Amino acid sequence: MGPFLEYTVIGLTVGSFYALVALGYTIVYGIIRLINFAQGDLSMVGAFLGWTLLVSFGFQRLPLYLALIAAFVVPMLGTAVVNLGILQFAYKPLLKKSMLAILITALGMSLFLQNSAELIWGPAIQAYPPNLLPANGLFMGPVHLTYVQIALVFVSLLLMGGLVAFIQRTTVGTAMRALAVDHDAARLMGIDVDAIIRLAFVLGAMLAAASGVMLGLYYVQIQFTMGFLLGLRAFTAAVLGGIGNIPGAMAGGMLIGLLEAYTTGYLSGKWEDVLVFGVLITVLIVKPTGLFGERVAERM
Amino acid sequence: MALLEIHDLRVFYGNIEALKGISLEAEPGHIVAILGGNGAGKTTTLRTISGLLRPRSGSITYGGKSLVGMQAHAIVAMGLSHVPEGRRIFGILTVEENLNLGGYLIRSNQGLVKERKAAVYALFPRLAERRTQLAGTLSGGEQQMLAIGRALMPDPKVLMLDEPSLGLAPMLARSVLKTVREIANRGTAILLVEQNARQALAISDQAYVIEVGKIVLQGEAASLASDERVQKAYLGGFEAVAGA
Amino acid sequence: MIARLADHRAGRAFIASRDQLERIPFFIRVIVILAIVGGSVLLNGDDYVTSVAVSVATYAMLGLGLNIVVGYAGLLDLGYAAFFAIGAYTSAMLMTIAHWNFFATLPLAVLFTGTAGAILGYPTLRLRSDYLAIVTLGFGEMTRITFNNWDYAGGPNGILDIPWPNFFGYQLSTQGDFFVVGLVLLAIAMIFAQNLDHSRLGRGWVAIKEDEFAAESVGVPSLRLKLFAYVMGGMWGGLAGAFFATRIGAIDPTSFTFQLSVLVLIVIVLGGTGSLPGVLLGALVVVGLPEVLRQFADQRLLIFAVLLIGVMLLRPQGLWPRVRRKPKPFYGLQEEEAGDVAARILGEHQVQMEERDRRHAAAGHQVPQPGEALLEVEGLVQQFGGLRAVDNVSFNVQRGEIFSLIGPNGGGKTTVFNCITGVQKPKRGRIRFDGRSVVGLRPHVIVSRGIGRTFQGIRLFKNMAVFENVMVGLYPRHRTMTWQAMLHTPGERTDELRTLQESRRWLGFVGLESLAGRLATELSYADQRRVEIARALAAHPHLVLFDEPAAGMNPTEKLELVGIIRKIRDLGITVLLIEHDMSLVMRVSDRIGVLDHGVLIALGKPAEVQQNPTVIEAYLGRDEDDVIVKAQGA
Repeated sequence: MGPFLEYTVIGLTVGSFYALVALGYTIVYGIIRLINFAQGDLSMVGAFLGWTLLVSFGFQRLPLYLALIAAFVVPMLGTAVVNLGILQFAYKPLLKKSMLAILITALGMSLFLQNSAELIWGPAIQAYPPNLLPANGLFMGPVHLTYVQIALVFVSLLLMGGLVAFIQRTTVGTAMRALAVDHDAARLMGIDVDAIIRLAFVLGAMLAAASGVMLGLYYVQIQFTMGFLLGLRAFTAAVLGGIGNIPGAMAGGMLIGLLEAYTTGYLSGKWEDVLVFGVLITVLIVKPTGLFGERVAERM
Repeated sequence: MALLEIHDLRVFYGNIEALKGISLEAEPGHIVAILGGNGAGKTTTLRTISGLLRPRSGSITYGGKSLVGMQAHAIVAMGLSHVPEGRRIFGILTVEENLNLGGYLIRSNQGLVKERKAAVYALFPRLAERRTQLAGTLSGGEQQMLAIGRALMPDPKVLMLDEPSLGLAPMLARSVLKTVREIANRGTAILLVEQNARQALAISDQAYVIEVGKIVLQGEAASLASDERVQKAYLGGFEAVAGA
Repeated sequence: MIARLADHRAGRAFIASRDQLERIPFFIRVIVILAIVGGSVLLNGDDYVTSVAVSVATYAMLGLGLNIVVGYAGLLDLGYAAFFAIGAYTSAMLMTIAHWNFFATLPLAVLFTGTAGAILGYPTLRLRSDYLAIVTLGFGEMTRITFNNWDYAGGPNGILDIPWPNFFGYQLSTQGDFFVVGLVLLAIAMIFAQNLDHSRLGRGWVAIKEDEFAAESVGVPSLRLKLFAYVMGGMWGGLAGAFFATRIGAIDPTSFTFQLSVLVLIVIVLGGTGSLPGVLLGALVVVGLPEVLRQFADQRLLIFAVLLIGVMLLRPQGLWPRVRRKPKPFYGLQEEEAGDVAARILGEHQVQMEERDRRHAAAGHQVPQPGEALLEVEGLVQQFGGLRAVDNVSFNVQRGEIFSLIGPNGGGKTTVFNCITGVQKPKRGRIRFDGRSVVGLRPHVIVSRGIGRTFQGIRLFKNMAVFENVMVGLYPRHRTMTWQAMLHTPGERTDELRTLQESRRWLGFVGLESLAGRLATELSYADQRRVEIARALAAHPHLVLFDEPAAGMNPTEKLELVGIIRKIRDLGITVLLIEHDMSLVMRVSDRIGVLDHGVLIALGKPAEVQQNPTVIEAYLGRDEDDVIVKAQGA
């Protein structure tokens, strides 16, 4: 029983990171039917911005909570700017054109981010300060939880909760949900659709950045290539939950995290990706609307 | 000068001229009916006024200000509300949330939003009973009421309705149109596009009949109601039978 | 002024010489150009340059394969490296473990990749394009990882010491040798691709890419064609893989990454998707640029990413765009007299119909005679969520009649059409055509059964010429197979000529022969409608469905439309019509059905229907008894 619970804990921790990135995919896709291939790479950019702050600029020497707050806030703002740039310069001009053109451009954007990161931060693996957070933990029953795990999952849940509260309780959040149904009808309510799309990109970027920093804090090692697989897993999570469906993306993220943990634990790390892709392909063929159903713009 | 004036409006869908020079007027407290067969251009007219479509030429003036080129959400802010064809309510949101979105422009004043919602519920008691229900589960008539209520939230000076009686049983259609008359009586200018010519003319003040993008008849609703040409415009008159 | 004259003359001379060049058959042009290029590289003698040239050839081969998938069929495949890998590993393993000759491994390499393509493609090609992209990406990665984990295939180390090919005793060993092989493969690929492009398959792909729904509805089996493209493109990648394996001598999983798939995509996007010279140019840039700009070699991916985005934003057609020069219509056909044409069409149609009736009777089906029910709709129900769009509708359309379906907006008329033509599956009810049920069949199958249609709002293939549009409608009537198209056999050539002739006849039938060579978008709305009708008739249907054919026409054009509809009926084709123009409907119909709120409220001859009080009420509303108070003044 021991290993199972351990894998579960790991799975849920990492799953919460995936959930954040999946939310970014799902929010954007729900409104404008675009797979922002760069979503995973935004996470990577966030991770590196956090690293720059903590290591290059030495923020790690500040009191812990200051360092951490800065390590989250600055990357979130930075990636928000990057994602807005991608929207304005690359996606917006093409939104009315063919699907093929947008997909290829999105792919190009992902490549661009990856290789720019390599240029700026170098191809080598960089490391978050390993002793920043306390390494010990506590026992909850038979299971050992590190303080890092608890803290990071807590932050993830906080962010997710904040997003859900925003979407469900505020008028602007409701407007965002409405955009997943009918753009013209939304316009007739006085809703500035373009502004809401920008907001979606900002939110998606911030969540991705947060997850990147968390991955850095958790795994310590980061590299410019980390966005690729992360993005694919998060996209699988979003599809699993039903693209455009926010609670679905969160659930999907957790499930993918668990799948990954169990596969690595019981089988071997070599087949992890194959299984994740297998899940993606199976879902798309058998139940393309996902476990919880899609929420996608019918009328744009 | 009328509150809303449209002059010589020309609208194209690609190469096809959908509106070939439409002119009409609307005044506060009056209902202007826009009638005509399918594909005549009635919906196109409303969509152009509310900003969802751009005209090739012509003018749209509201309170002296030109609306041409303005974005749809800005036009709503100026006081024109459009209830689109097919209602287009947000099915995955509740009745209450739909109304909240109707009040999007006044969202910073939640007290005012509450007030307006109460007014809508007073006008449509059926909606009040269903405020937490998902809008997609409402009946056709209730969805229509919701669509109108939603459009009333920003307290518009001009209300445009596209086929509100579509898909409704006759009694319900009558009730909805009665409510539209009440709204007009409170001072709102109303543009009413309808297939149901007789019922529309019964509550309207003025009427225009559009055919293939042009206005072919216009005048006081009362006189048009007894005009034989209206029937001809819809049913092709008493022409030769097939084979001639 | 004089300078402009000179320009003009020079310009004309250029076009004249280009037209002359066009007359030379494509394959000769390809062979000559490749021979010239190849010769100069070989004569140069520098081994390094030749080796780079081989790389260019390899990328060009991959590009040609991916071009079929992305450029012709419009499917974004992000896992093309998988085919490359399967071909390479198959060939390598057969050569190192089973000691086969390289050339003997080729058929198997192609077979395995083709099979993989079919297995992967069949369940996934129905997905929408963005999901398809991710799924293919997944396949690419899964293939790489599988080879990486498979010890028999060498695991992460791959396969080493792959022998060089032996061609009937001649041992290939130098870069020059490989370059020649590469050029030969390239030439073959280009010729095949060009032949496919100009066949009915190519037309089908363009149609699918432009408007899949319309293509399917005029008889193009879209899923099958997409699968063809995917498998063929894949097989070519496999061939390139085998070549690559023997040339490099060692392969491992790192040669087949997502990065490679992206690079091949960049090759064709940069050059111009769907363009053969574009692919060559793209390969040249992708391989050559890092060589030339040696100092930026490390950032080549970044530069490519920027180029990719730049091309998409600024020049989406690519550096050397695919040129669809306006084809000369009916080139090589004999002239026919107008009367001849009409008689031919009538004659052929009679033959078709009699043939069909005979087959039907032989198969035990009931053959409806003129006057009997050809189309039977029984108890049709369709529901969208809570809305009942069609409520228990039943009617028959008799063979040889013109039947119109009318009714106020939202009555359910187009929904009925969609159920008949297979676009939707009704919730309940039976639809029988010619005695056989057509419920739940795919649209292109229904076309082959004998039902054609036009659409509310015209759906022509905009970037094709008028006669090409009609030829797409002839897709179900071709008799040659794909391989014949690839090789451009005499059989295929005759078939193409025959369909060309038919398309010309149908255009003559609707009076548009003079506009045959024009691009579809250049025509007026009414003329476009006529092209659509010709396209629907091309498959020799026995029933045509016209959805609001007169929309947007002026009175003269409507009169001409009535003429065409009557001519169609005179051919023996039954017509089912949705229309809003009442005078047209009254003038042309034998019988009329009225749909209101999904219910059939009247059925009968035009005069009866027009005077039917229920119908009048449905359109104009009931007379109100109670008076509704109006405000006095504002």
